[in-house]
Amino acid sequence: MAVYKRSYHGYSGALTPEWSRFAIIPRYAYRRLFQSKIMTAFFVLCFVSPLVFLSLIYVANSFGSIAGLFGAKGARSPITIDGEFFLIYLGVQSPLAFILASFVGPGLVSTDLSNRALTLYLARPFSRVEYVIGKMSVLLVLLSTITWIPGLILFGVQSALAGGGWLIHNLWVAWAIFAGFWIWILVIALTALALSAWVKWKIAAGALLLGVFFVGAGLGQAINAVLDVRWGRLINLSDVFAAVWSNLFRMPNGRDISPTSAWIMLALVCASCIWLLYRKLRAVEVVR
Amino acid sequence: MNHDSWSLWRAQVAAILRLEIKKNFLAKRGLWIYLLAAAPVVLMWVHAALNLRDHRVCDLGHDSLIFAAMFQFFYLRLAIFFGCVGVFLRLFRGEMMEKSLHYYLLAPVRREVLLVGKYLAGVITTSIIFCTGTALALIALLVHVPRTAAEQYLFAGGGLGHVLAYIGTAALACIGYGGVFLLMGFLFRNPVVPVVLVFLWEGANPFLPALLKRLSVIFYLHSLIPISVPAQGDFAFLAILSTPTPAYLAVAGLLLIALAGLWLAARQVRKLEINYGVE
Amino acid sequence: MTGNEIVFENVSRFYGDVLGVNRVNLAIPPGITSLVGPNGSGKTTLMNLMTGLLRPSQGRIDILGVAPDDPERLFRFVGYCTQFDSFPRGMTGYQFIYAYLRLHGKPHAEADEMTWRAIDRVKLTDAAARKIAGYSKGMRQRIKLAQAICHNPTVLVLDEPLNGLDPLVRAETIALFRSLAETGKHVIISSHILHEVDAISDQVILLSSGYVVAEGQIHGVRTEVEDHPMQILIRCNRPGALASRIFELDTVVEACVHNDGKGLLVRTRDPDRFYLMLNRLVVDGVDLESVAPADDDVNSVYEYLIGPDGGSI
Repeated sequence: MAVYKRSYHGYSGALTPEWSRFAIIPRYAYRRLFQSKIMTAFFVLCFVSPLVFLSLIYVANSFGSIAGLFGAKGARSPITIDGEFFLIYLGVQSPLAFILASFVGPGLVSTDLSNRALTLYLARPFSRVEYVIGKMSVLLVLLSTITWIPGLILFGVQSALAGGGWLIHNLWVAWAIFAGFWIWILVIALTALALSAWVKWKIAAGALLLGVFFVGAGLGQAINAVLDVRWGRLINLSDVFAAVWSNLFRMPNGRDISPTSAWIMLALVCASCIWLLYRKLRAVEVVR
Repeated sequence: MNHDSWSLWRAQVAAILRLEIKKNFLAKRGLWIYLLAAAPVVLMWVHAALNLRDHRVCDLGHDSLIFAAMFQFFYLRLAIFFGCVGVFLRLFRGEMMEKSLHYYLLAPVRREVLLVGKYLAGVITTSIIFCTGTALALIALLVHVPRTAAEQYLFAGGGLGHVLAYIGTAALACIGYGGVFLLMGFLFRNPVVPVVLVFLWEGANPFLPALLKRLSVIFYLHSLIPISVPAQGDFAFLAILSTPTPAYLAVAGLLLIALAGLWLAARQVRKLEINYGVE
Repeated sequence: MTGNEIVFENVSRFYGDVLGVNRVNLAIPPGITSLVGPNGSGKTTLMNLMTGLLRPSQGRIDILGVAPDDPERLFRFVGYCTQFDSFPRGMTGYQFIYAYLRLHGKPHAEADEMTWRAIDRVKLTDAAARKIAGYSKGMRQRIKLAQAICHNPTVLVLDEPLNGLDPLVRAETIALFRSLAETGKHVIISSHILHEVDAISDQVILLSSGYVVAEGQIHGVRTEVEDHPMQILIRCNRPGALASRIFELDTVVEACVHNDGKGLLVRTRDPDRFYLMLNRLVVDGVDLESVAPADDDVNSVYEYLIGPDGGSI
């Protein structure tokens, strides 16, 4: 007589909804990231400038009262809170977001690939797309907290202090803050992940992320000088972003790049990164 | 240290070179280094092709200035810099990350011999890539000008000296940056931040006091460039403004930096342990 | 100390605040020596210290008269099959061994010949031209083994060398270790598979939480474990009758009839005396089939000294 001792039963309990399954990645990633003291200190430091801008907004709106305390009645604030003010805020926070991304981004995918851990993820009910969204969300949420979220809070404070008229007149600025930061976050997050997947080594990926901006700028100038053209600037991502932001904030663009070509260039960069991720993030590696 | 030791070390260095050079040249992940080196070549050849197609007579003087600017601001400051970051950091730190360094440490090779072998492999790889890039770009510079003008430039106008100086400067840049980044690979578990600091240090060279200027690679390289282009407009952010030092001192300075890097790295490699768990 | 031993003198190794191994004193003679202990007990640390991949925080190590921090001399006669499952990128099995021998300074012809010999020995000839990245776990283990033996070392350090090998190759590999040990070489093996350790080892070193718990020949170690009286299984036709006589001996702690009713399991504090007295005790009509120690093996020693779940003692 055969004895079949069956002690194993597959899990039959409730599953988390499929749409939220990607969240498992950021949950553990943040825990690990904030174990680094340098990373935590830098993250905190990123909130210094929003506080400075908040103070400026307060000073601009209460300038008359503050000046009155010092006996200067009827004085007008030298600071104007408008699109340009928030464009400056964007110019200050975006490099901080870049530094944070170059610190966090390169290690997100490369470590999984170099340790052959991708198979472990994909052997579960977890797709490549969910994996990329999970990894991306680590950067998206982290960078959002230091960029457009405080930006919109600043905008809200300004609206509350300046009144409904200012809000209606400058509602487009809120959109410009949101869109301007989002496009920056999206491009650097995608670039960081793609480079990380390509070189599978977080140090090289970090150096390459820096190189994309520095070398791109140098190469762009070289193209312009050697070929006597102006489109070389399109390779300089800093200039491309400057053109997009100027367009969003309705500011004059001194970069010789039309907003349309700048948007197309950014779309191309994103598409290349997605293609690279599609090619490199696979559960198996064929060795020939 | 006898003759046998030397011949053994030579054989071991040759074995390391065979392994490393193959790895450096054939690694798919190093494709971006070729792209960096090839960018000016492609640009110069496109420029030459366009001029030849349109039958335009090219001004060699103007073109050589453009080449000088590109070499100075793009090739030295960016392409070779980042190329050396990729190659020399990989030699030890990269292998630590890939958990394959123990392969060498299980062989009867003195750690210093291993260091020298790997460094030489890095120098040979980067020099071949970037010197070839420089030479090909210079050929493109000369290929679309009338032959007589090219000959005059090369043999009467000191052009040949310029060509050799550019190629030599590229090789010396690889030697200098190689020493710096090899050392960084030992000193830092994640050398990206130090690399950025070196980049900024090299960029800040013009603003440094005279003594500190000499502690950068770009200071000596700048002194070796045959045509110095003042940085204006687009290239201003990569400008290196300094009084050139004589060529023999510049070469000696660069070699000294490389040797200092190697010496410090040799001290580290002797203490090197395989502890992949902390990487 | 003789020049034919691997000597650890008061060796400790710390990873920051974490203890790797502590105050290890060993003198390992030629033959097969097994390092046995649970995960994290310090086996790999000990092997890495032996081969200079790690430096001791304190103490001194001497490998047949050579210090591990002199790789140029050490690896002329030491081969190490590590537990690291990573290889230089893009190499074939042949290149992996050949390049290693070239690092020894061997000329091409000699390196080529030695490479094929090592590859043949681990039965990888057919796969030698394939990239290691495409090898199975067992093949990777074998190519590492080939690397360790290719230069005919006198000291062979093998970290979990039988991992991933199928039963046939496992038996062949064990035979290879035996043949190496018989030629007077030091073969140091770490393993979790205790019955294999038992079968191949001349001596064992038991480690737990970074400390050496026991060392020596397995019988000697077992005899030293006084907390656990030795078990002896006596196969006979009348175990009940024999049991009543056996209780007359003061060295016997316990005796119970075996589950199958055809034997007696005796626990004694003095097995040597017990064996001497046994003949006198055998009564008429009791036929002894066999008398053998039941827990004189690595498995039991491991369980007594380290615990059944591999915990610390």
